[in-house]
Amino acid sequence: MIKETNKIIDLLGGTSALAKLLDVNLSAVSNYRKKGFPDRLHYKIATLCNERCIAIDSKIFGEFSNTLPAIDTRPLETLSEVSIKVIESLTGDDFELIDPPVLVSADKVLDRLGENIADKLYIFSDPAGSRLCLRPDLTIPTCIHYLNNGFNGIKKNYAYHGKVFQFQNPSSNEPNEFSQAGLEIIGGNSCIENEIKVFFRTYKSIEQSGIRNLNIIFGDISLFSILIDVLDIPAIWKDQLKTKFWNDKNFKILLEELTVKKRLNNQLFQKISNLDNDTAEIFVRDTIGLLENQSPVGRSLKEITQRLIKKSQEIKTDPLSKSTANLIKEFLSISDKPLQAIKKLKSISKNIDSRLNSQIDSMSERIEMMLELKVDLKNSILSLEKGRMVEYYTGFLFDFNSGDLKNNLNIAGGGRYDDLINSVSNIDNIPAVGAAINLDRLEKIISSEKLI
Amino acid sequence: MSSILIALPSKGRLHEQMNKFFESSGIILKRSGGQRTYSGFIKGIEGIEIIYLSATEISSELLKGNIHMGVTGIDLIEEGKTSASKDVILLSRLGFGKANVVIAVPDHWIDVENIRDLSEVSSEFRSYNNRRMRVATKFSNITRNFFVKNGINNYRLVDSAGATEGSPAAGTSEIIVDITETGQTIEANNLKVLEDGIMLKSEICIFSSINDIWRDIDLKPVERFLRIISARSEALGNAELLFDYNKDDKDLEINLFRGFNSKFVNGSPNTGESVSLITPISMVPSCTYYLTSKGYGPVRTTRPDFIYNQNSQSWNLLKDTIDSI
Repeated sequence: MIKETNKIIDLLGGTSALAKLLDVNLSAVSNYRKKGFPDRLHYKIATLCNERCIAIDSKIFGEFSNTLPAIDTRPLETLSEVSIKVIESLTGDDFELIDPPVLVSADKVLDRLGENIADKLYIFSDPAGSRLCLRPDLTIPTCIHYLNNGFNGIKKNYAYHGKVFQFQNPSSNEPNEFSQAGLEIIGGNSCIENEIKVFFRTYKSIEQSGIRNLNIIFGDISLFSILIDVLDIPAIWKDQLKTKFWNDKNFKILLEELTVKKRLNNQLFQKISNLDNDTAEIFVRDTIGLLENQSPVGRSLKEITQRLIKKSQEIKTDPLSKSTANLIKEFLSISDKPLQAIKKLKSISKNIDSRLNSQIDSMSERIEMMLELKVDLKNSILSLEKGRMVEYYTGFLFDFNSGDLKNNLNIAGGGRYDDLINSVSNIDNIPAVGAAINLDRLEKIISSEKLI
Repeated sequence: MSSILIALPSKGRLHEQMNKFFESSGIILKRSGGQRTYSGFIKGIEGIEIIYLSATEISSELLKGNIHMGVTGIDLIEEGKTSASKDVILLSRLGFGKANVVIAVPDHWIDVENIRDLSEVSSEFRSYNNRRMRVATKFSNITRNFFVKNGINNYRLVDSAGATEGSPAAGTSEIIVDITETGQTIEANNLKVLEDGIMLKSEICIFSSINDIWRDIDLKPVERFLRIISARSEALGNAELLFDYNKDDKDLEINLFRGFNSKFVNGSPNTGESVSLITPISMVPSCTYYLTSKGYGPVRTTRPDFIYNQNSQSWNLLKDTIDSI
């Protein structure tokens, strides 16, 4: 109990800081250290902790820890020293510091992030009837900033910082608003130099903050999709494997099914399998019962016909061979120190199409560049599964975590998302690579590292 | 000691169906003041306070933990649940308001029969149209959870205030998730329900919110109330079959249970006894056919008004859950 009390006093800034906050004498706080907090201060101190996102043991304040205000706002009037240094280091003299919008179109955010994040968003309508949300990250607002300035492919280096808003389960003790700082390179060429630039700037900014126990996890989503592209399997399976890739459980089920399943055969498939594209479309139109210039509800005649053709090809194909399924599994299971992981990757892929090998070479090039820049890769791994849980990145990606691999707290993350601009506009083919640092988390970790 | 707050639907068909149910249970609801007030009590059971709210409000008050019990639909409870919700348990099904929350796609989609097809189509749709497939619904939570479970991620929800089934034809969505009793409206709008497209079977039930509002509450009135409710709702779903057990048939009891979910009221019968069998309504025709073809008869069937068991399931459930808080 007294140990907890002392921990709270320390986390609130120590004896004199707490005395100031509570407007009491220093000796009073020293007394709390020995005897615990008096009852009349429980609510006040619980609130102070809550405002600073300090988790409190319910033993200390009993029910107060549960009756605190539901909306946890945490105004940061001034940036702390740590944050200022991180932002300065990120920006350098070659990234333009911008202030992207706080309010963004809810539809754009949902188009980009998918409905599964909707329960984390603060969505509302403005008096004009537009559906808006508070930005859940700064990447989408940065894109909107780029597009609003009329850019269409020209390379821009942006740096930013500011509050982001994500609803958190109240019992998780995580704040609903926190500060992020980050970088984006939008436009120009999709090249590994830009990726390394963003990565290294992020790395340097975190490193200069003095944090200990840093580890990095690398991944590259495009390795998987290229592997699937070059495998000799029907197009429809490729689509299915790529779609289910984002969910490990569903992916495993699918892989299992493809190796054994007797696929459903129906008359529609049989009839369509012998027709050329045009005749097939007429056949489908007649089967639906549409007139010549009528189109189906919701999807085009072409979409429906092409899917039926793909399905009919699937029936004619033998099940996925065990060896191919195992290859995919083995491929995804690679997770090791970067150089070792690349070695394993190369040995698995040596007899596969060269497109895959050139992508693996890019990965080793990146690692070599990092080593040349003296990045400390002692505590880092390259995992082929990295990036699967969030359908967000399209290529190289990285995560910075604090602590050992078991008890990981994410501090920063980033990577390539070449479909980003396209998912919030109609403009295609603008590459983007970026990273963001959770400033609040970084500060919290640094201050707790100092306590130990 | 504070009283127990039970919320009941205040208007519409649900209100009428519920009144009918309580009337037939012999529970007399009284309004405090005039007929137009929104609070009341149960005649003869003290310590219970009734408040009248809309079914949606009842679900949200339960999930916030502001009321002890409430009568509302499973669909509304499931839809209202968030990561911040209090635990809500189902105490008793009241046997009315049955409807399914289903996924339906246009009839024209002759290549889509089940969820697996839909999952494939949704990702193809995105690459053809450079936008996500739109799902019109007023059940965004239920839809999201169901789609996550089934690995569908390329979609967008479109809020639908009413007439959801018209939105694909109107071009405001591609597919819909809607609640339906018979599926007729969906069919009439040239949509089809997927083979495995029933996301949720809903029904009107009595729920309880489980949290510390139950602290310092006298549970006796709830026990009385719940015993009546569960006796009535069990009776509504079952018939009583009466016949003479005129020969020794060791397997009869187990066959009746396995095949027809039917139970003897007084445990295993002895030869020569007149016996009473409780059988779900839907099983009555097949079960009586089975019995008569086995040589029992005449089999008389009656409808009990109440089935009071020594242990009321819903009361035990509530008591055990409260004890474990």
